[in-house]
Amino acid sequence: MKKSNIFFKVFNEESILIQWNDRVDIKLIDSIISFRNLIEEELKDVLIECVQSINSMMVIYDPNKINSKDLINILKKLSSTGFKVTKTKKKIWSIPVCYDIGFGIDLKDLSTLNNISIDEIIELHSSITYNVLSMGFLPGFMYLGMNHKKLYCERKDKPELNIKTGSIGIARDQSGIYPQDSPGGWRILGRSPISFFNVDDKSPCFAKPGDKIKFQNISLSEFNKIEKNKSSYNIKYKVI
Amino acid sequence: MIKVLKEGLFSTIQDNGRFGYKNIGVPVSGAMDQASAKLANLLLGNDESSAVLEMTLLGPTLEFMNDTYISITGADMNPVLNKQKVLLNETLLVKKGDILYLAHSSNGMRTYLGIKGGFNSETKLGSKSFYKGITKREKLIKNDTIDIDESSSFFKKIGQNINDFIINRKSAIKVFKGPEFDLLDSKSRDLIFNTDFTIGINNRMGYNLVEAVYNNISSIISSPVMPGTVQLTPSGKLIILCRDCQTTGGYPRILQLEKNSINCLSQKTIGEIVKFKLV
Repeated sequence: MKKSNIFFKVFNEESILIQWNDRVDIKLIDSIISFRNLIEEELKDVLIECVQSINSMMVIYDPNKINSKDLINILKKLSSTGFKVTKTKKKIWSIPVCYDIGFGIDLKDLSTLNNISIDEIIELHSSITYNVLSMGFLPGFMYLGMNHKKLYCERKDKPELNIKTGSIGIARDQSGIYPQDSPGGWRILGRSPISFFNVDDKSPCFAKPGDKIKFQNISLSEFNKIEKNKSSYNIKYKVI
Repeated sequence: MIKVLKEGLFSTIQDNGRFGYKNIGVPVSGAMDQASAKLANLLLGNDESSAVLEMTLLGPTLEFMNDTYISITGADMNPVLNKQKVLLNETLLVKKGDILYLAHSSNGMRTYLGIKGGFNSETKLGSKSFYKGITKREKLIKNDTIDIDESSSFFKKIGQNINDFIINRKSAIKVFKGPEFDLLDSKSRDLIFNTDFTIGINNRMGYNLVEAVYNNISSIISSPVMPGTVQLTPSGKLIILCRDCQTTGGYPRILQLEKNSINCLSQKTIGEIVKFKLV
């Protein structure tokens, strides 16, 4: 791995925060994934879990087995020996989205705000292949990057109290999918009829950081058809 | 098995939490006051992370469907077994058909009921802790029943003094500097350590503090947060995240509570004062 700006900070009695001061892109995500795999392998005896984020990672450990100083030294050594960024198999997931105005409750406002037609918003949003940068916020919520720059917008000043399951929103340069009903401040462009978090599955989420997402524009009648048979819907993907 | 005769304000099953799923956005959950939950278990010779019942502000009325042992720790809800007042932090024998009444809490916000062997509600993603969208139940309601895990446990001595587990609600909240602390200007830093903050709206996700400090930092790229992370919102108000908090957040993380201070905070409620002190 190319030497980058990595910083290690004690977060509390049982966690170390690793921060990368690099540009957020797929290369950085791949480095974080590789470093996480390395930590999970090398430190499994003391590790509780690693929480991966967009440009940082929390390493939660058992303080009865190692102290923070020793752990930081090991982490520094692991990062400076130049670990290999492993090329793991990734999937591009095709996610059906209906950009109907009834689902895309913020399409009109965004159109005015960014001086762009609704058709162009939909075209630009569904033409990009997004990287899954990280997961967090809600069980199964994916942070996707990056949006087309013409769609750049801040979060809404006042969050909505109830954004519906499957809603696709944008904020700043990222897209996100609400896996369950939730309050939220992202601007909603459409809704997907499929399920993004299944607690009883062996892997509750189909995608993981490093994977890619492509939105497939579907009509309202296709939305209704898929939603009716939600549980048996097979999400299409390609391995790259 | 126990049966809920009257539901109280907000009662949930909690253990020490859900580990290994933060990467897909699943909160850790677990007992808000881990020290009291642990004591409840140790009094019964249970594994210290066995599932207990966490009761908030106003307790439920419960009926025992078989003979067993229980313990009650944390805030004092004036527990009465049938007609007999019972003590906190003791091991109690209960008989089939006995009824336990828990009232409003005094000197604290959360009370824990431990049971010999631990509660045996459904395990989801490695934990029994209730959480919306993960477990079927979010809280206990009238006529609910909860099974008890009777497979385990024999009594053993607690190796520690019981007083070590009792929360001192008067002590200052001890904190580490958070990752974005150094971005604060000196005015904000002074305010943070010299203000008596009043607790506002709060729940298992977080505690809002009423007084605002000056905020000179913009939001950050969504980054990991943990129970005990103190976030600085754009308005200058602080939020202390608790056990059911989200796994990542975009507000600057200015402080991080020491573990036992999270337990201490969990026993405070709206209108009470907190003061931060660096570890």
